[in-house]
Amino acid sequence: MTAPLFLLAPPRSYTSLVNAMLGQHPQAFGLPELCLFNVERLVDLWVGVEGENAERGAMARHGLMRAVAEIYGGEQTTTTVNMARAWASAREDWDTGRVFQEIVAAIDPLVAVEKSPSYAVAVPRMRVLLKAFPDARFIHLIRHPIPQGKSVMAINEGAFTMKMNAFEIDEDYALLEPQIAWHDVNMNILDFLDEVPPEQQIRMRGEDIMADPRTHLGAIARWAGLRDDDAAIEEMMHPERSPFACFGPVTALFGNDPNFLSGPTFRPHKPKIPALDAELPWRKDGKRLYPQVVELAREFGYA
Amino acid sequence: MPDNKPASTPQVHPSNIAANAKSSRERLSPAPLDPMTGRSDPSQMKPHQAALRQAIVDSFNAKKARTFLQKQVHHISTNRELADGIKFLFDEHGRPPNMPIEDIVEERRMVEYHLMWVEGVLNELRHRLIKIKEVEDYAFEMLARAAEKNK
Repeated sequence: MTAPLFLLAPPRSYTSLVNAMLGQHPQAFGLPELCLFNVERLVDLWVGVEGENAERGAMARHGLMRAVAEIYGGEQTTTTVNMARAWASAREDWDTGRVFQEIVAAIDPLVAVEKSPSYAVAVPRMRVLLKAFPDARFIHLIRHPIPQGKSVMAINEGAFTMKMNAFEIDEDYALLEPQIAWHDVNMNILDFLDEVPPEQQIRMRGEDIMADPRTHLGAIARWAGLRDDDAAIEEMMHPERSPFACFGPVTALFGNDPNFLSGPTFRPHKPKIPALDAELPWRKDGKRLYPQVVELAREFGYA
Repeated sequence: MPDNKPASTPQVHPSNIAANAKSSRERLSPAPLDPMTGRSDPSQMKPHQAALRQAIVDSFNAKKARTFLQKQVHHISTNRELADGIKFLFDEHGRPPNMPIEDIVEERRMVEYHLMWVEGVLNELRHRLIKIKEVEDYAFEMLARAAEKNK
């Protein structure tokens, strides 16, 4: 079974686009967000788990339903999504690593490429992933904390920051602070990657891929042991050709960021990289990035 | 099965130890990490922190509810605005990608059919339950009478 390739990153770090681009490589298969390692057993994706960290909601299942429909049914329709539900029902007591292994075996010899930003919110989730696939490769995808924080706060009232308990709390006030989420998720990823052999991990800045995709996608392909010829690179320039780069059938619409699903075409551009002491768009009090965030951003190559 | 063991002593890969990798990194969230889930746990925050956090959560929920209601009111104002609300389902040419209208109609019919089927089964079960209760009551009554006679 060919080892899969996982993208680890905080949300809003170009993960949807990069996942779809890599998935278009002729030797790869880009999956939607399966969210499998958020839970222990497959049935937990339906019934949820106890406590604050419960993962409920049909949207967490859309990616899996679409992937199973496409892989086993050859198309994504309400009929094949119904088939996918039956497929899942027959495996409801399986641990999610085993479920993922079956999906990877079904697309073998293509390399499965997946990103579910929810994996990086906790180190144990990523450990399960490595346990299921000891040979898996990991791309740690980075984005500058200021544009990433701005983007996070623009989505769903900044709900992700709350999920990460990213609160700045003083004696008499508290506020949601996305740079805390950026910092803590990246720390989780770094902690996890300490346990991964160095040859199985690579770090990439999303801005670099956006600015010069051919060079960086080629480098990733070589590192992953995939072809890096012009034809393969050209395929990766078309994420919109992925069967998951659009809304799914009415019973499984999502499986990825809705913004990506409504406009998956890649438009080369050079993202503006702000200075690390620049103003934070989400703060009205003029405060800047925390020293710990600046230090980590510097480690990631931002000046 | 996920490994739920506490993460106090992570297994750092030998090559990374050689590269001076840190095995424990400080987090910035005021909620301490739960060693079982690996996630920040707000239940371990200090009381004043928990109260301030709750105030933010309440305000967040109120804002979400207000936005939702505003959207609903916006939607019912005109048909055009309703279409705006679901325009994310369509591509730039106004076509529903990978989701023909026939699929939507068929799915709606299928759900209606399932509902009718479930309601039919429910009625049948209720009817059976009534019958069985009658038989059960009658059986108990007969048993009681037989016991009276045997005394």
